[in-house]
Amino acid sequence: MTSHTAPIADSSLATSAQRSAAERVVVVGSGIAGLTAALTLARAGKPVTLVTKGIGGLQLSQGTIDVLGSRDGNYVPFAFDAFDGLPDSHPYRLIGKDAVLSGVETFARELGEGYFEGQAGVNALYPTAVGALRPTALVPASMAAGRAEVGRRMVIVGVRELKDYHPELIAGNLARTALPEGDPMDVRAASISLPAREGEVDSNPVMYARSMDRPEFRARFIAEVKKVIQPGEVVGVPAVLGLNDPTVHAEVEKGLGAEVFEIVSQPPCVPGMRMNQHLTVRLKELGVRIVLGAEVVGLQAHEGRVTGVDVRTAGRVRTLAAEAVIHCGGGFESGALAVDSHNRVSETLFDLPITATDATELIHGDYWGAPQPLFEVGVRVDEAMRILDAEGHPVYPNLFAAGGILAGAIRWHEKSGEGIALGSAHKAARTICEGDLS
Amino acid sequence: MKKLSVDVVVIGGGATGAGVVRDVAMRGYSVAILDKADLGQGTTGRYHGLLHSGGRYVVSDPHSATECAEENEVVRRIQAHAVEDTGGLFVVTPDDDLDYSNGFAAAAAAAQVPCEELTIREALRREPRLNPGIKRAFAVRDASVDGWQLVWGAANDAKRHGAHILTYHRVTGMEVVDGSVRQVTAIDEKRGEEVQIDCNFVLNCAGPWAGQIAGMAGCEEVEVVPGRGIMIAMNHRLVNSVVNRCIYPADGDILVPVHTVSIIGTTDVKATDPDQLAIPRDEVQQMLDAGEALVPGFREARAVHAWSGARPLFKDPKVSASDTRHMTRGMKILEHDTRDGVNGILSIIGGKLTTYRLMAEHMVDIMEEKLGNQNECKTAEEIIPGNEDRKTYAVTHRLEEREHDRFEDQIICECELMSRGMITQLMTEQPTASFDDLRRQLRLGMGPCQGGFCSMRATGIAVEEQMVDVERSTELMRLFLKNRWIGLWPILNGDQVRQTALDNWIFHGTFDIEHLPQSEEEAL
Amino acid sequence: MTSHEVVQQGESHEHNTLARASLDNCVKCTICETQCPVSRVTPLFTGPKFVGPQAERFRNGESVDKSLDYCSSCGICTQACPQGVKIAEINTVARAVMKEDHMPVRDRLIVQTTLMGRFMTPFAPVANMALKNKPVRKIMQAVVGVAEDAPMPPAQMQSFEGWLKRRPRPKTQPTREPIVFFHGCAGGYFEVETSKKTVEVLEHLGYEVLVPKQGCCGLAQQSNGLFAGARRSVNALVDALLSAGKGLTIVSSSGSCTGMLKHEAHEILGMDDPRLMEVGSRIRETSEFLLELLDEGILTPDMLSPIEATIPYHQPCQVKSQAMGTPAVTVMEAIPGVKVVESGQPCCGIAGTYGLKKEKYEIAKAVGQPVFDMVKETNPDLGTCDTETCRWQIQKHSGVRMVHPVELLHQSLGLSNDLKV
Repeated sequence: MTSHTAPIADSSLATSAQRSAAERVVVVGSGIAGLTAALTLARAGKPVTLVTKGIGGLQLSQGTIDVLGSRDGNYVPFAFDAFDGLPDSHPYRLIGKDAVLSGVETFARELGEGYFEGQAGVNALYPTAVGALRPTALVPASMAAGRAEVGRRMVIVGVRELKDYHPELIAGNLARTALPEGDPMDVRAASISLPAREGEVDSNPVMYARSMDRPEFRARFIAEVKKVIQPGEVVGVPAVLGLNDPTVHAEVEKGLGAEVFEIVSQPPCVPGMRMNQHLTVRLKELGVRIVLGAEVVGLQAHEGRVTGVDVRTAGRVRTLAAEAVIHCGGGFESGALAVDSHNRVSETLFDLPITATDATELIHGDYWGAPQPLFEVGVRVDEAMRILDAEGHPVYPNLFAAGGILAGAIRWHEKSGEGIALGSAHKAARTICEGDLS
Repeated sequence: MKKLSVDVVVIGGGATGAGVVRDVAMRGYSVAILDKADLGQGTTGRYHGLLHSGGRYVVSDPHSATECAEENEVVRRIQAHAVEDTGGLFVVTPDDDLDYSNGFAAAAAAAQVPCEELTIREALRREPRLNPGIKRAFAVRDASVDGWQLVWGAANDAKRHGAHILTYHRVTGMEVVDGSVRQVTAIDEKRGEEVQIDCNFVLNCAGPWAGQIAGMAGCEEVEVVPGRGIMIAMNHRLVNSVVNRCIYPADGDILVPVHTVSIIGTTDVKATDPDQLAIPRDEVQQMLDAGEALVPGFREARAVHAWSGARPLFKDPKVSASDTRHMTRGMKILEHDTRDGVNGILSIIGGKLTTYRLMAEHMVDIMEEKLGNQNECKTAEEIIPGNEDRKTYAVTHRLEEREHDRFEDQIICECELMSRGMITQLMTEQPTASFDDLRRQLRLGMGPCQGGFCSMRATGIAVEEQMVDVERSTELMRLFLKNRWIGLWPILNGDQVRQTALDNWIFHGTFDIEHLPQSEEEAL
Repeated sequence: MTSHEVVQQGESHEHNTLARASLDNCVKCTICETQCPVSRVTPLFTGPKFVGPQAERFRNGESVDKSLDYCSSCGICTQACPQGVKIAEINTVARAVMKEDHMPVRDRLIVQTTLMGRFMTPFAPVANMALKNKPVRKIMQAVVGVAEDAPMPPAQMQSFEGWLKRRPRPKTQPTREPIVFFHGCAGGYFEVETSKKTVEVLEHLGYEVLVPKQGCCGLAQQSNGLFAGARRSVNALVDALLSAGKGLTIVSSSGSCTGMLKHEAHEILGMDDPRLMEVGSRIRETSEFLLELLDEGILTPDMLSPIEATIPYHQPCQVKSQAMGTPAVTVMEAIPGVKVVESGQPCCGIAGTYGLKKEKYEIAKAVGQPVFDMVKETNPDLGTCDTETCRWQIQKHSGVRMVHPVELLHQSLGLSNDLKV
């Protein structure tokens, strides 16, 4: 496997308007794979159109970079060491460690130095919103202090007006969970009352994060939390430490005189939203044309090559001319893969060949049993991330896939979603940049 | 060991048992009702929610039709809050021939079931999604009814008259002394405690389980055939009134709007064990096709959840046991003194939820006859407390309530607009309740996301409010997710696949529930 | 038959619409709520997920959730939804049901946009004076509920139609196919300059521009719940636009009216007349059309003389919802020296007529505040935006002159020189 670590050219000189439409690379989907693929291409000077049905999945994520955290329910301490043990059908067998590393590096670089902490190949455990310890590789700096370590004293602080975060549940479960190295941590719960806005008792995390962007609200938050914590405790709070102001976490730590970490709950995920906003601005700066709210409904091909992507916009279906296409449309959660009422599984954008088409044998009734095989279904690709047909030949030489649409992994069980997305996005983008489209 | 002494023990907490315990209590007896699970967890909670106008039986069973028409009015009067006055239609779809409909109106008139033929245009105006090719349409007084509201309403009224409501009490035996039932023993499943109840009479209302119960009293084999039927709830109200196919009663002939969903039902297949009811894929397909006949595009609509219920049918030697559709729909009361030589016990089998009160009246009348008493039955006259305003339920209720309290309370189940106040209040009243128990009364987790967003909230609140400790609460969450899946995986297609994928992202991905500490035993 | 066909059977919007069927797509992910500009600034609005796919399951007839009226119908939720729920459309339909019973006089008045323009043009100075006159505005607020400070259009001395009739014939012969120009009510009576310059740019590029006599698109009626009137307006307009010729491209410099014809009339009013569909597929917002010309090499950078300026640009919510990307940015940046800064904001607050109403005025202002600030900071002299009411709103609250992006191109093509940049 070759390593793709060559520096990527900066394209700031050429504005997108000066190129003809036919030369564009169309990236479908704006989750972590789509954003990263588009950024990689744009940095290399490729004109890119990013077309997406809605806002991508980062806002629904847990805000961390998972590579491979769990196999058959067991923690994986070193992700890359476990790659060799994966079945041949697993996307990592084709993506490989080097591409994952490059993809993660690209992503982390785009978000700026110091945004993440941790290493792509090394997992650590962090508390979740139900008090489980979850393995992951990289976490935003605002979550880093949550790393589970023997002997830590934690206080989990909730806000009563925020219904998706229950400190007693989190602390209670953490306190009865032994760490791999030994005893449970010393964890307790505390609560404050602080409406996100005057008179509101039911606010989502984004509303809190916006309020935390305001210095006066932040000061009130710090003052209230200070009342319920004790010296020496590491403080776990909901993931609401600012949406647009990146200094909030540091300020809260300073104000409390304690280490503070965020815990992400169910969507919306503020850390994911921060990343999404940040990367979207980067893409715009690089001249990427972003078409939001448009559903991709088909492909145009000529002489064995993809020439365009059909997009449903207001009033009509239009074709975006394309030099190459990367399908980053996600899996079942986005609808890129679907099961119809006759239990037929299909890829819904281009009706691509997928690894299984009959759902009846892929779903079983034991919720706590083996992972549901349905969610391993997806498209097959080659090492360059070209989509393959049933015989193993590329469907088109210039049609690629990255992220959740790839077959062979149930990401939520493995804790592997971001690693697969970043590694495959990197590979597909590199193939296109190197002009290998035949 | 807990001991109790009452006049009467009612076994089985479905609609029949609830009607019976209310009637018994209102006639002045001390009484306890036992169910091995929660009230309305068996057949009553697993049907399509139709309060019959009688229309369904005008041709096949006019006597039942008349009873339904009368009891429909009674239930609306005494338990208005459990009923939504949706009205109903009988329609002849393009696939059906007109023969049955030709005699329908006359049969309805003969059975005193109010019925009016509509023009096609009017029927389509009322129900615009209905198959535009329908050939005839009749309006009847069908309504939809919340079986759990109905059962809890009756049970709580019984409680006010002194009855003991003992849920999660599994009957383990009956002591027969000198040919008469004198004691019922049970296990309190939630506390793991044995319970002995001395009594003079047992009323067996265990539905599909009635044979097992009768056997405990030494009554010779009472053969109850569970007729399994599956139902599928669709995500929103595809129709706003009950829509029946105007044909001889058959599978998949009814679509009922219940609360926010519409329910298509039902199949009918002989089952062997009422505790093991499958939801076979072929029957799911059959229901989707049936829905398509009534509402074109039905297959593209979102199926939210499916379930399987067992009709308790008394085996009648006249028809083949594998064809449960044609067994008698009327209920049967077994007098075990004459039948088996065991005094102080009656079993009731069969019947319909719509006539639950009347069935109870019949059964209690027979008991009184045996006991030599003659107290008046008042269950049809006395309004169940809380329903005095006689306002029937409307689907808009919760939206209106949240509009008023949205600045004071949080919405915990967003799909079904259940507030934090609602769940904490019920947790206080029923501290041993599982999340499924709460669900049946509050509709927690019954909407499109199927607990994806509210399960964690309910779990957190239970701990936060110190209702249960963190270990039990976590186990209850596991159980809730497991139980929701039972009704999800057989219909996992379309939008519900996307929902499941997101729910799995949340629970397995973000929360990593797999790595939560797990107890040895499953919670109850 | 598909479910989409099924839901069009009902005549009454309270029963059936495309929008209601789409509620099945909701997975409760809450992305819409994070993007809603109204719930961001006021807790009075419960947010798009609540009011849309959630509440809709509880609706049948009677309106019980009056707070849904705080929805501005900006459509950002629909655009942001990754699952395809027509959230804003569900809300608009539900609001129409709610208002059937008690339509405020104000909602009827505001929507008579064409009539208002026709009435005002010949008497422009008087009308302007009346609208600028505080006591008159106070009376309007008290009587009809239009906010005292609401941004109101400046009436013009000459309508676009008047200009067309009186202007000298274009000097050059067309070299390309004819196209139809749709100016919208505002473009006909208030934003006459935008209409004129659009026509001149198109003619400069060689097109023959046809301007059939045309009325209102009905958008204002629709967003205020007057569906029957809106349908009549759409039908009349479709006939007018098609009367200019078969198979012609239609260009419009009114972003919101374009959206009405492209998709809203279909998705909200439930109209599926093939004539409407044809117009919807042929119509292009001006910048959208110009980007096509740029990509096809018809409009080339060498035609454009430099303008050294940093230009703030706000894409209106109603243009965003057309899913065309941001063509105005690309087109303006094709002008040498121009750097465009996008507002990055969902909505300026006005959302058609929302911000004109007294109970919504402050909300609309709060919604737009980041846009006003951004415009002022980026360029105190000139900003750009594709829709008339948005320009009025931003101009009023930022004090910065707001023009349609086509005006910048007009100047760069050497057709005018009046923009101070």
